[in-house]
Amino acid sequence: MISKLKKTVIYWLLLAPLVIVILFPFAVMFVTAVRPREELFVYPPRWTFSQFRWDNFVDMWVKTNFGGALLNSLYVSVSATVLALLFSIPAAYALSRYRFPGKGLYRNFLLMTQMMSPIVLVLGLFRLMVAFGLVNNLNSLVITYAAFNMAFTIWMLQSYFNTIPRELEEAAWMDGASHYFSLVKIFLPLAVPAMVVTAIFTFINSWNEFVLALTMIRSNDDFTLPVMIFSQVAGRYQIEWHHVMAATVLATVPVAIVFSWLQRYLIRGMALGAVK
Amino acid sequence: MMFQKWKALAFSAIAAGLLGAAAPVQAQTQVNFTVAEYSSKTGPYFEEVAAAFEKQNPDIHINLQVVPWDTLLQRLTTDIAGGTAPDISIIGTRWLLDFAGQGIAEPVDAYLTPEFKSTFIDTFMAPSVIDGKIMGLPVAASARAMMVNMDLFDKAGVKPPTNWDEFYAAAKKLAAVPDTFAFGLQGKEIETDAYYYYSLWTHGGDILKADGTSGLDTPEALEAVKLYKTMIDEGLTQPSPTNYTREDVFNMFKQGKLGMIFTFPMLIPQIKAEAPDLHYQILPFPEGKAKATYGVTDTLMVFSSSKVKDAAWKFIEFAYKDEWRSKFDHGEGFLPVTKNVAAEPYYTTDPDIAGFAAGLPYAKFAPTIANWEEIADTTVRTMQQIYLGQVAPEEALKGAAAEINKIRGL
Amino acid sequence: MKSALRSTPLLMIVPSLLLAMFIIGYPIIDLAWTSLQEVSRFGQLRGFNGWDNFAEVFSDPLFYGSLWRTVIWTVAVVGGTLLLSLPIALILNDEFYGRGLARVIIMLPWAISLTMTAVVWRWGLNGRAGLLNATLMDLHLIAEPVEWLATAPMAFATEILIGILVSIPFTTTIFLGGLSSMPQDAYEASMVDGAKRWDQLRYLTLPLMRPFINIAIVLNVIYVFNSLPIIWVMTEGGPANGTDILVTYLYKLAFRFGQLGKASAISLIMFGVLLVFTIIYVVMVMRAEDDGGAAGEASK
Repeated sequence: MISKLKKTVIYWLLLAPLVIVILFPFAVMFVTAVRPREELFVYPPRWTFSQFRWDNFVDMWVKTNFGGALLNSLYVSVSATVLALLFSIPAAYALSRYRFPGKGLYRNFLLMTQMMSPIVLVLGLFRLMVAFGLVNNLNSLVITYAAFNMAFTIWMLQSYFNTIPRELEEAAWMDGASHYFSLVKIFLPLAVPAMVVTAIFTFINSWNEFVLALTMIRSNDDFTLPVMIFSQVAGRYQIEWHHVMAATVLATVPVAIVFSWLQRYLIRGMALGAVK
Repeated sequence: MMFQKWKALAFSAIAAGLLGAAAPVQAQTQVNFTVAEYSSKTGPYFEEVAAAFEKQNPDIHINLQVVPWDTLLQRLTTDIAGGTAPDISIIGTRWLLDFAGQGIAEPVDAYLTPEFKSTFIDTFMAPSVIDGKIMGLPVAASARAMMVNMDLFDKAGVKPPTNWDEFYAAAKKLAAVPDTFAFGLQGKEIETDAYYYYSLWTHGGDILKADGTSGLDTPEALEAVKLYKTMIDEGLTQPSPTNYTREDVFNMFKQGKLGMIFTFPMLIPQIKAEAPDLHYQILPFPEGKAKATYGVTDTLMVFSSSKVKDAAWKFIEFAYKDEWRSKFDHGEGFLPVTKNVAAEPYYTTDPDIAGFAAGLPYAKFAPTIANWEEIADTTVRTMQQIYLGQVAPEEALKGAAAEINKIRGL
Repeated sequence: MKSALRSTPLLMIVPSLLLAMFIIGYPIIDLAWTSLQEVSRFGQLRGFNGWDNFAEVFSDPLFYGSLWRTVIWTVAVVGGTLLLSLPIALILNDEFYGRGLARVIIMLPWAISLTMTAVVWRWGLNGRAGLLNATLMDLHLIAEPVEWLATAPMAFATEILIGILVSIPFTTTIFLGGLSSMPQDAYEASMVDGAKRWDQLRYLTLPLMRPFINIAIVLNVIYVFNSLPIIWVMTEGGPANGTDILVTYLYKLAFRFGQLGKASAISLIMFGVLLVFTIIYVVMVMRAEDDGGAAGEASK
């Protein structure tokens, strides 16, 4: 047996190249975000700078309406997640617990919906939202994100539901409990870990989605974070890189923190849902 | 304010989101205005104009949609396809023919009073005239020029060039200065073709021949690109131009690493903020068989589908008042499109601006032809192939000309 | 009562079915409809033109170039991701000091949107103003700045590497999930039998991981095949269309050149390619696995 210490050294050495490559963009982001504007284009480029310009963050916040974009992103991501779960839980439950005609067809349909990239469908989606009068409305994003994530959430939830022993519910029915009661009081509490995992997936995907948000959202007040940051870069005659990077840092850090806190649940969720 | 809007959104989420509730009743006339974002000042500027206008005209509300330049055409395409086109929009004048040809742009002759019309500089008005009708108003303009780093020229002991022979000779001398490059050549993404047109025009060539076919298969066009290719091969440009966008080249110039670049007036405020110690000078493009500069304008267009053209026009007239135009041109660093602003002391005495404005009498504009973006893309691809040495210049240009003629249906 | 029970599962799937039909099904039909019509520069339909759009696509040399690069892109990114993610997951599944930190770092790329990642990389990779070259030169690994995105082969390779980097977190998470669900007793039994670690990996871990690897392949292929931001932000398919894949070419056609009919046709072709891939894959791999699973059930 190799000692834990020896393993630690070997493993970190093996991971080192990857860790460096992963951290590189974060480091670039950070040192660009906090340096004074005059030092953006020094030659040769340096990691160091003369002083920390925390004001960059304040300036950026005011100039780019960062707070508004943050709230918009939160609203869209949370609502899309809730909506996706509301639609997925019953569907996953049905797939896991019942045999019914068209079950295979339904599963194939879900897989097919995974195959379409929003980019490919953007024109059709846009026409659809126009018909619903939802253009320039954050709710158009909520619905679309929920729909595009549903296949994955249903699949995840279903594989997890499969691992919850049927006997538990059956026992409750024996005791005279209604199906509804057993579902709410016995089944769903057991399924909470899987719901957390799928919620995180949906949340992250919605938080980072870009193309649809760019197409559907018209006014600056309704921009989500990725669109807001992109609009600082795309085709301007003058790109204020320190502000772009400051915004990127601020948009990333909260997600990264939540992630590091929840990642063990993520893995556990993946593990419990035997993939089928 | 923000929070309230957000809360209201949340409350309406289920109802509006799932059922698609109708918009609330509007008493005001709503004018939708799509604005191209030139810099971080663009949005706030137009908000200010709109607010001032609404104060005078409480019955009209201007809905601004500020769109990044790179996605403007996509936005307008989806809008038109989806039937939600705005009432007015800023567009690149090079797209105007496509809009006019599809019946999307509304001619403005009927709205344009003679007094209003006389405020514009004719050079900038000309590209918006299609088949004798004015299809839009110039809203932003720039001309291009050469910018040189005087410190490097002093070090190399040469004078800034006035023609291509001197340009090439100066580049040879500048190349001897260590750790710098003589000429910044753009080879990536937007306006890579423009960098070539500067050379094409001054060598006496043109984008289209008199008969409307592509001018890329002419001897002048070949000479123009061969000059660039020679300079790349001899190390007179920065290495690998195909890795350098317009912005990258300008950034290198700010770093003091380039002797000569071709640029636009909007770079000046950036240099003042980011590289205040740089000693630069604005000069006309080197001359060959002809003098030329590239005039670029953007157009304010009225959509023929608009139901509130009168209100929209009222806003346009308001926004073209001298005080607003002046503020816009100063803020973004554009050349004025109206005579009164152009007469301001700043635009007549400032040497930088004068350097750019000097070329206007002989400025060339991108031809107003259909499918311009695709033609430009073909030119960009051809330039990249030549710069990379994938295809010989003569063969590449012939192929490009044939392809462009095909796109034009000739 | 009985019939009510039978309709219960249908009622449960109806909401999700309706949502998917509306948001995804309708645009697909709209797309198919559009692809058979002449479409104006701004997306207005101008009447049927049969298969002209498809004919135009199939006579376009750029289409074939993009198709070929899409294959390279997808195979390279998905293959590279799987090859890296499996050992990473094995390492992260083992006990060592700082494992929690290592897991967090490996997952980090997931926390930024692809667009932003690409923007930051483009800025860092810049030939002369980028920090990557500056750092490599400081370390004396290179003497001259490398122009990462100047030529198509180099740019494409760089984009593939970044593609792999951002796909690792998701894939590793799936694998870690798989590894932590391995039956411990099987491992203990094999230890007793004196199996070497390598044999253990080959004969025990990998077979047990198969369903997880399969799902990782299917999902990654779908995501990577359709992925726009990395290539679009870094090179826009250039130089000289040398890094164009189908989705970037499609985007250019639709939103820059306004050839919406042709773009719709390419969308449908892309959908078809993915559909064929998935069907073949599901039939070949998943069925084999189902048989194995059934055999396992029976022997219980």
